[in-house]
Formats: sequence, structure tokens, C-alpha cells
Amino acid sequence: MNAPKEAGLAERASALQGMGESRLRKEDARFIQGRGNYVDDIRMPGMLHMDIVRSPLAHARIKRINKEQALAIPGVHAVLTAEDLKPLKLHWMPTLAGDVQAVLADEKVHFQMQEVAIVIADDRYIAADAVEAVEVEYEDLPVVIDPYAALAPDAPVLREDLAGKTEGAHGRREHPNHIFTWEAGDAAATEAAFAAAAVTVKARIHYPRVHPCPLETCGCVASFDPVRGELTTYLTSQAPHVVRTVVSLLSGIPESKVRIVSPDIGGGFGNKVGIYPGYVCAIVASIVLGRPVKWIEDRVENISTTAFARDYHMDGEIAATADGRILGLRTHVIADHGAFDACADPTKFPAGLFHICSGSYDIAAAYCQVKGVYTNKAPGGVAYRCSFRVTEAVYLVERMVDILAQKLGLDKAEIRRRNFIRKEQFPYTSPFGFEYDSGDYHTALDKVLAAVDYPALRAEQAATRANPASPTLMGIGLVSFTEVVGAGPSKMCDILGVGMFDSCEIRVHPTGSAIARMGTITQGQGHQTTYAQIIATELGIPSEVIQVEEGDTSTAPYGLGTYGSRSTPVAGAAIALAARKIHAKARKIAAHLLEVGENDLDWEIDRFKVKGDDSRFKTMQDISWAAYHQAPPGLEPGLEAVHYYDPPNFTFPFGIYLCVVDIDRATGETKVRRFLALDDCGTRINPMIIEGQIHGGLTEGFAVAMGQQMPFDAQGNLLGNTLMDYFLPTAVETPKWETDHTVTPSPHHPLGAKGVAESPHVGSIPTFTAAVVDAFAHLGVDNMTMPHNAYRVWQQLRDCGAAL
Amino acid sequence: MEVKLDKNYPLAVDMSSAWQLLCDVPAVAGCMPGAAITGQLDATHYTGTVKVKVGPASAAFGGDIEVRALDAASRTLQLFGKGADRGGSSASMELTAIVRPGDTPDSCVLVGQASVIVNGKFAQFGGRMMVQVSDMLLAQFVENFRVEATARAASAAASAAPPDATPALPGADATATGAMPAVAPARAQGQKEINGLAILWALIKGWFAGLFGRRA
Repeated sequence: MNAPKEAGLAERASALQGMGESRLRKEDARFIQGRGNYVDDIRMPGMLHMDIVRSPLAHARIKRINKEQALAIPGVHAVLTAEDLKPLKLHWMPTLAGDVQAVLADEKVHFQMQEVAIVIADDRYIAADAVEAVEVEYEDLPVVIDPYAALAPDAPVLREDLAGKTEGAHGRREHPNHIFTWEAGDAAATEAAFAAAAVTVKARIHYPRVHPCPLETCGCVASFDPVRGELTTYLTSQAPHVVRTVVSLLSGIPESKVRIVSPDIGGGFGNKVGIYPGYVCAIVASIVLGRPVKWIEDRVENISTTAFARDYHMDGEIAATADGRILGLRTHVIADHGAFDACADPTKFPAGLFHICSGSYDIAAAYCQVKGVYTNKAPGGVAYRCSFRVTEAVYLVERMVDILAQKLGLDKAEIRRRNFIRKEQFPYTSPFGFEYDSGDYHTALDKVLAAVDYPALRAEQAATRANPASPTLMGIGLVSFTEVVGAGPSKMCDILGVGMFDSCEIRVHPTGSAIARMGTITQGQGHQTTYAQIIATELGIPSEVIQVEEGDTSTAPYGLGTYGSRSTPVAGAAIALAARKIHAKARKIAAHLLEVGENDLDWEIDRFKVKGDDSRFKTMQDISWAAYHQAPPGLEPGLEAVHYYDPPNFTFPFGIYLCVVDIDRATGETKVRRFLALDDCGTRINPMIIEGQIHGGLTEGFAVAMGQQMPFDAQGNLLGNTLMDYFLPTAVETPKWETDHTVTPSPHHPLGAKGVAESPHVGSIPTFTAAVVDAFAHLGVDNMTMPHNAYRVWQQLRDCGAAL
Repeated sequence: MEVKLDKNYPLAVDMSSAWQLLCDVPAVAGCMPGAAITGQLDATHYTGTVKVKVGPASAAFGGDIEVRALDAASRTLQLFGKGADRGGSSASMELTAIVRPGDTPDSCVLVGQASVIVNGKFAQFGGRMMVQVSDMLLAQFVENFRVEATARAASAAASAAPPDATPALPGADATATGAMPAVAPARAQGQKEINGLAILWALIKGWFAGLFGRRA
């Protein structure tokens, strides 16, 4: 960027509200006035409502379904079961992970609340009544909840539809309940590192099953026009173009006649990436009945059936020298995928990007192996506010490094400092083959330790521990994380064969305003605000007159959507490069208008000026008018461009988080005294939005670490699927957040930006655990399983004899 | 959600009266709050209903009951019941009831061992109260059983005539169960579902008892 040389320049730059400005969110005006337009706000003439009959049992054979009583209720139009979908071959559908999933249960139910039948009625209430009138007779089958038990030789076979299939989408299946075994790294080199090491540590780290639980549940309004043969569906999707492709492939309707619209989305966090049976059923019902059909999940359905996250059982091992230099890292993971493998990962990566698990450390040898397993739970395994399985990976390595530090009696900051990848090692190739683009971990660590006066905190902790009358235990959690986001380079990453590029189309209008259409879709990230800022800086057009449109597949260019912190790394780059195409054409037009050569022009904020003569210039507004009025000979009129950006690499944002907790020895309640998050996401586009995203991510991380859980009983009942049980923190529970940053731009991204919204989630969860465990470290505790709610922490206090 | 119960209830009823009542499956079902036998399929199979309501979780289970054993020598009854509710819940129960000698010839001990499994919405919403609710149900059942067995013994003693299937019971008040569940059982209330207030009351009582260390 040009540094403003005089007051006039600074004013002109600031008037654009471009990159680096804390521009107020453009989205907020409509949301705070109740003028948002969510899927459930959509009402169409003649619209019918769908509700779903779900299984109370986690594993059972369906003996009989009787729809007669339901059909007899006035206002009920149809009751459909798998038998009805069979002739259309839609009773099963392919998943993004290469498996198949029952749209409606076909002879068997595989998890509690699985979709068994649908009811279409005049209104939502009649539909709900009719659901209760559908009689389903089940025969119980043995339920498998524990993924280790699922792999026992005599375990009940869950997926009878896969009988005899020894080859899965990701290689050989060793057991009827085994989905895949995926590995990365160098097993032999790692084995050698362990054999030679002075110290090794090993621990089972469980990352429990949680749910993203966005405020808006999933739903859709499907509208098939039988006369035109066109299908329009309003749908809560983080990836509307992918949905269009899948719907076209499933239904046989040409993709040009399928329009998917994601209107305002009330939070996604990975929950709205997948394609759910409810969507497919509503679309089928609309096609069959020739009328619009609305389906909106309720909260219990959302938590119980649409994409959960995590559920990784990780056996971690570290080999190190006696002074704490890490030589090798190894992990074996059992991944509970539920009844169908419906993870949303890039095709070639059934465990996502879990192999980022060497973290921020320079480790010579590493190996990981992930086994996917079927159980009688709902399918999913999405990236809950994180890139694919990155949260699990960071949690593993950060827990293991703390365990090593405790074994060696080393300070938790010191062990990190000793093992960090050094600034001069970037670009750094990890033992798993990732090429980390840029980083400066030592500087960030020093900044955080200085900000909190770390030695003083440790001294206070020592004093608290020495005082037997202290009513609290004090814990300090410190985490350094490196994320891999911005999926991704199409040579590595695809979804259903479509490369994971993203796209932008910009049109500059004759009067100098502009519209940008994107392949992504905002769900709270503020794209309409930040994307406009990128264009403002690139093209010298004020943000205020730049419209950003997303989510309508009939107007937006094809894109892979918003998840895995990919909007800024991928779509942000597409915007910059589309803008630069326009910029290049604008230079030609300016040269023509000023009657000089293109090389005789300088760009300055919002105009091209003749070198050495500030009085001769053309603003972007002049150029826009000219583009439609007197384009230079040989140049097409108009001023627009499209860019599809296929990133050359992922980006690697990082951060250092520190948390201080005080645990009440009488009640087990954990009070977060202080939480400091230092993030480095490279170039910062809108500091205010970054801070908001970090606050949101920290709050969700707090929720996961301190309260969210999905407990199952032995029969497969989910005992926490309402907001009575499932913890969503409000302002009452949420601690105060402090934020800081360093800036280490990505060398391969056109703007140097790396993506940020998921870092606080990925980084904060292990920080909370580290702080809680650290409070018990002097009592010999080196790991505790989330969530750290008062009862569980109190149990730990009791077990250590520390409870008052 | 599975709850296992194993309880002993001393009754001021002689063994034979208690055993006679235990052999009468519809009458036994009638002692269970909210339960009723609606039909008999053959000598050992019945159909029945159970209505339960706890806070947000309510269910009307309809299903089958099978008498798996009725052994006079050991005075043991084994029942298996299984049912479903239209609102998306299902339940099953294996019950073993044994009549054992009491401290005196006029008394006996009713031993109840039950394994109750509930699935679906009822487990999801009511799961955390299942143990307390089951305790409460069983306590009401035993109280009703005691009243019924006492009445039968009394009417058998009072007349040579065979016991009336549905004798009127003095003091029976089907509406009084809300406030004081433990003191107002009645044969006539057999059809009534278990009352949420009663459970709340029992929970509060249990909580206070626990606070003062008087819990068993």
C-alpha cells in the first residue's frame, strides 16, 4: 500500500474504508432491526410443512410401519418411508466421505433419532401430530456405543448393507465395523527415535463428542416447478454450490435448472456443511407433490442428528532427550464416526488435516494412524469452528507436551521455547510433509509472557500451593498452536472431485460503484464488510458503494463455500486477483484518457496520475465511466473480471494463549481469572471484526472445554440433547477476554492474510484444559478429560484429597 | 437408560394373602400407578398400558406383558413387559417379585428386583430423574399392593365368599395423591398416571433427608 504522503492522501485513503480499517459491520443494521432473512423466514404460496418420524432406539430392525392413522388426519398430504423412496433410488445417498447414508431407515435403524419416515402436511402442527400417529414396530438389536467394543471380534455387525465389502473408500476394511485406517508420517524413523530416546511419555487423550449447536438449526424450503422443470431450494448451507452439484447428481435434474440459495445463515460452525436426509426428503416431497415444502429442525433434532464434531480417542506418545528436546511424536487414534461415515473432509483425507499434530514444534520424526469406526451414534465428524480435525491435533500435541514437561519437571513455557520451529526455519517442512508458510513463535511467546508477568504468576501459584488453607487451587495454562487452514490446493484437496478453489466476480458500474459475487457464504464472519474493504484498497472504490453478494448459485460463480477458515485465504485471494485484473484494464483506460503510456502512470489510492505531475490524473470513478463510454480502441467496453483462485499452499496461522484459573476446592467450580489470546493471522483486514471473531471463538472454546458434552447411555440414548443440558455460554458465564496480535504475513497469499476465525476455538480449548490440569499438577495429575464442569473437577479434587 | 432396582418391603400381610395377590396379574398391574391390563391374549400373555409424566417427559406406553414364571413353591413371579409410546419413547421391564417370610406369621417381605430400560424422548428428557422416579413408582406400588392385600385378607376373613374382584375400599380417594402420595394410596387409583407433584415432593423429601444424613 502507498503510505499517504500528506494530509489529503490520508483523508482519501480513510474515506475508502479499505484494508486495515475497523469498518463497522454492514450486516448488523438488518440483524439488529429484525430484518434478516433466514430460511425459516421464507414463506411461499401453497407451501407445505414436513416433519420427521425418528427412531427412539439406537439399533433395531424395523418390522412394520403403519401410516394409516397418520394419513387419516385432515391436512396430511403424504407419509413417505424408505419403501416409497426405493423406486426413485433415493432411500440411500452418497456421503462426502465415500460412504452411503440411509435417507430414510431401510429395514434397520442405526442410531437414536434416525430418520424413519416423513410426514407432509398443511402446517407444522398437523405434521407434528401426524408424526405421532405413524406406528413403527421395532425389534431391538444389540447396541454398540464404545468404538473399542465395536472392533471386538464378536461385536454386532452394524452396517449389514456393507456385508462382504472388504474395500472401503480409503482402503481395506479389517472388521465389519471398521471404516478405514489412515496413516501419515514415517513409522520406521519414528520407531527409531523412540528406541534411542532418553525419555518417553504416553497417554490416552480423549476428545469427547460435541456439537456445534448454531443458534439457527438446519432447514430448507424446496420448491419444484413442475411446469418449468426447475428446482429452487433455500437451504442452510455453508457450501451452496456443492449442494447444487449433489442435488443435480441425485435427482437427475440438470445443474442449470437447480438453484440453491443460502440466505442469511444464523451460524454454521461446520454443522451446515453436510447434506442431510431432511434436505433430500423435502426436495423429493416437493418434486412428488409439485408444491413448496419447508423443513426446519427443532433443537433436539439438531443436536441429536445433524453433524456432531470430534469423538477422537487418541493414544499419544512423545520421545525426548533428558533436557526436553522432542525427538519423536507418535499417535494412534480411534475415531468414532457414528453409524455412517459422513465426515466432510477433502476426499483424500479421511482424518482431515489431523497430521498437523506435530504442532509448532521442530520434531524430526512423527507418525500418526487414525482408524475410523462405526458405532450406533449419529453420523458427522465435522470441523466445529476449525479446519478439518485440526482442533483434535492441536489438543493432542499440546496435552502431550505438557505431560512431558511435568515428567521432566520443566516449566511449560520453557519446554515450548526449546522446541519451537525457529523464525529462520520458515518455510518449514513438517515431518508429515506440510510446508508451513511463515511464523515467529518465539516473539509471540515472549510478548504473552511479558504481558502477564509470567514469573510473578508462577510465584503466586507456588505460594498458593504452599498454603494448605488456600480455598482455591491456581492453574496456569499455556498453549502454542499452529493451524492449517485455507483448504486447499486442488492438487491435494477436493470435495466429490471438485477442486477446493474459490471464486470472485467483480463488476464495476459506469458510475463507479461495484458489486462482487462470491462462491463463499457468510454465517457471521462479516464477509459483506471485509470483502468490500479488500476491493476498496485494491481498486480505490469506497467500501460503502461496493455490494457483496453470496449464496445464490444462479448468480454467484462456483465456489466451495465457507468453513475451515478458508474464506480469507482462498476467496480473499480470489477477490484481490479479480480486482487486480480490473486494475490492469483501468490502467489501460487511464493511459488512453491521459494520452500517455501505461508505464508513465502511478497508482495512488483511488487514481492513476501521470508521473511527476499531480495535476494530471483520472480517478477510478472517471475510469469507470470511460469504460462504458469511450473505451480505448481494441479494448472491450465494460469493467469486470472473474477470478478462480487455486491456492498454491495452505496458510498456517498461529497463536500463543495463556489462561489463569482459580478452582474452588469446596465446589469444584473453575473461575477463569485471566485469558490472553495472542493471534497471528498475517495481514489484518478489519481489526474490529478479527477481535469479534476471536471473542466468539474463545467463547465457543470455553463452552467445549468447560461444559459441552453428548453423553450416551448403554442403550444409545443421547442424554444431553436439549439446551437444558447442552452448555451454550451466555454473557453471564463468559469470562473477560484479552487479545493481542503479531503480524507475520503469508508469503504466498496475494494479501498476506491467513484466516483467523477458528484459531481462538482451536487454541483456547487445550488452554483451558492445560490451566485446569496445571492446578492439579503438584498433586501428580497430568491429564483430565473435558468438560471441566464443577462436578467433574470436584471429583478430581476428591480423588486427590484436595476437596474441602 | 437402564435402572436396576432391588428392594425389600416388609408388609403387615401374611405370606399366603400376598402370594395370592401376586398371582393375580391384572390386580398386580392395577397396583402400579398409571398401569392397567387392557386384555389377556392367553394364559401368560397380556396387553397393557402405563402412563407416566415427569416434568417435560410424558409417555403413555402401550405394550405386551409376559408372565415368564409363576412358581408357588418359591413364591416367585417373573414378568417381562415391553411397550412403546406414540411420542417417540419405548420401555421394557424385567421384574422378579418374591414373597418371603416376615418376622411374624402375620407379616411377610415383598422382594422386588427390576430392570427397567427406557429409550427415546423419555430417556433423553427424564433420564436424570429415572432413579428417583423408579423409586417413587415402586414405593407407590408397594403401598397399593399392601392396601389391596390387606383388603383381600380382611374380606376373606370376614366372609366365606370368594374375594370380590373390586371391593370398595374405605378411605380411598383418587384425587388426594398429589400432596401426600405415601399416605393416600388406593385401589381405585390404579388407572391414574403417576403425578409429577408427588414425585417433586418425594424428591424434596429425599433431598432434605440426604442433607441431614438420614438417607438409607
